[in-house]
Amino acid sequence: MTPALALAQQSAAVEVGSGSNAFLEGLVAALGAYLPMWALWLGAAVTGVAIVMGLISLIAMFSVWLERKVAGHIQCRYGPMYVGWHGWLQSIADGVKLLLKEDMIPRDADRVLFMLAPALVLAAIVAAMAAYPLAPGVFFADIDLGVFFVIAMSSMTTIGVVMAGWASNSKWTVFGAMREAAQVVAYEIPLGVALLVPVMVAGTLNMREASEMQSGWYGMGWFMFKNPFMLPAFVLYFIAALAETKRAPFDLPEAESELVAGFMTEYSGIRWSFFFMEEYAAMFLMSALAAVFFLGGFESPLTWAAGEFFGRELFVKGASGATELNLQAIPYHAVAGLTLLVKSFAGIFLMMWLRWTLPRVRVDQVMTMGYKYLTPLALVCAIGAALWEAGKQALLG
Amino acid sequence: MQQTETAQGYVKNIWDSVKTTLVGMKITWRYMLQKPITVQYPDERMPIPDRYRGIHYLEQEKCINCLACARACPIDCIEMEAVRHGKELEWISFTLDYQKCMFCELCVYPCPKDCIHMGTEYAFVTFDRSEFKHDLLSFKGMAREARIRMKEAEAKKAAKEAAKAAGVKVEDSKAEEGDGE
Ligand code: SF4
Ligand code: SF4
Repeated sequence: MTPALALAQQSAAVEVGSGSNAFLEGLVAALGAYLPMWALWLGAAVTGVAIVMGLISLIAMFSVWLERKVAGHIQCRYGPMYVGWHGWLQSIADGVKLLLKEDMIPRDADRVLFMLAPALVLAAIVAAMAAYPLAPGVFFADIDLGVFFVIAMSSMTTIGVVMAGWASNSKWTVFGAMREAAQVVAYEIPLGVALLVPVMVAGTLNMREASEMQSGWYGMGWFMFKNPFMLPAFVLYFIAALAETKRAPFDLPEAESELVAGFMTEYSGIRWSFFFMEEYAAMFLMSALAAVFFLGGFESPLTWAAGEFFGRELFVKGASGATELNLQAIPYHAVAGLTLLVKSFAGIFLMMWLRWTLPRVRVDQVMTMGYKYLTPLALVCAIGAALWEAGKQALLG
Repeated sequence: MQQTETAQGYVKNIWDSVKTTLVGMKITWRYMLQKPITVQYPDERMPIPDRYRGIHYLEQEKCINCLACARACPIDCIEMEAVRHGKELEWISFTLDYQKCMFCELCVYPCPKDCIHMGTEYAFVTFDRSEFKHDLLSFKGMAREARIRMKEAEAKKAAKEAAKAAGVKVEDSKAEEGDGE
């Protein structure tokens, strides 16, 4: 996965409304007479990637600050306090520092792989991020295989991590990379199977559609409440997501007390920050998936009320028959987008809370937990949910 | 996680891990909501007891340059230099070498004027080691009062001398007069 491929994944750029690429259409309408189609297409793609990158860095910056605050308060201290109100600009200061750092590559490292690894990790997560729906009618790419795509792309980062570990030519990094590979292979299965439960209930892999299906009960018709196997599936999914994103208590790939910094021991400056951005973006995506498939996605009583009050359709057929932007529906979309954002950050907060609560588990414990506990339990949940749904259909018609 | 082969052990492991995690999360949640106990150091400070032995301070006006403190110091870190003008002192330096000082307070007791004390300031940070040779003087040279006192004393002396000289002169003139008569 190189940035060029990520570009291709992003070709849809900012799609607005189902099926149509409003951004590209607008570009064609404005500049089609002056520029060839491929230039416009490229322009739309580059803009899309730039927006996703911006989103990822914003999320990473906010999450780093949140992480430091949560860590501080759990340990009865304040965390960053000086740069801005309660240190909220600290991440920007850190970012500037990372940008200005010397770019170091170990002498015996494999230079090409060493430089490629962070780019690959970032490209994969940028591609995965494209599936995140910003609001019911605003998204980068409306992918019908949304969940599948996100999971595939975020496990792509593992290749980057293994690459980084191998290319650094250091025993710590190789250990970190090996652990990462073993862990991801072990936890991919329960993650997928646990996600299968809501996907089965929803009957779709599309994140936007899955969210729409939960709008019943005044915005509280969440999949979580639709099936008794949903809660255990959610817990299993969350545990597996923790392991997928290398978060404590499963942060073995970068176990700082054993492996210095694991696979990123030899990295510094901006390349190092790429790994960090990937970690936080992956956390965000995993939480967003959990929010969409278990916790109602865009739906909440507030979203429901906004939808009732302002109307839901972002695009309506105008008097002349052309599609027009329905400005009145914007508040509803803003509320819906914010709802999903808040739910995703609640997931991130839960991950942080767990990180500062639990000690790191041992390698063999990680494997035991993955293979002997999570996988069979996830299978039980999936089968149970399937039987439940089948029984419900048989009984209620 | 125990290594258990029985089905009962398997279920117990799951139960234990869920329960202990929840208990741990409850504890960290409580800590998170409590007010942090740290002190934002340079802005706030912990209260310091009055008899804390920190950086010294000197009441320079009282000091009589008697060297009692310097002699009492077991590691000779006090050095002072002053020029005497009659009763008054013109200060050049009164240094304390904090690379050596062990804050034992032995220099404080022998002072006949009770003018060297140990303060509550403890943070002494410099960019260069030489700066640890800290000058306790609040002013160099002479105090204004001392100068005034010295001037007064000088004026008095001059006046006395003048009076004396005048008296001699008077006597002289008398003698002259007498001589004249
Ligand atoms: S405190 Fe002790 S070591 Fe320091 S100057 Fe006084 S006598 Fe010397
Ligand atoms: S003992 Fe007191 S009076 Fe004498 S030199 Fe030291 S500080 Fe001054």
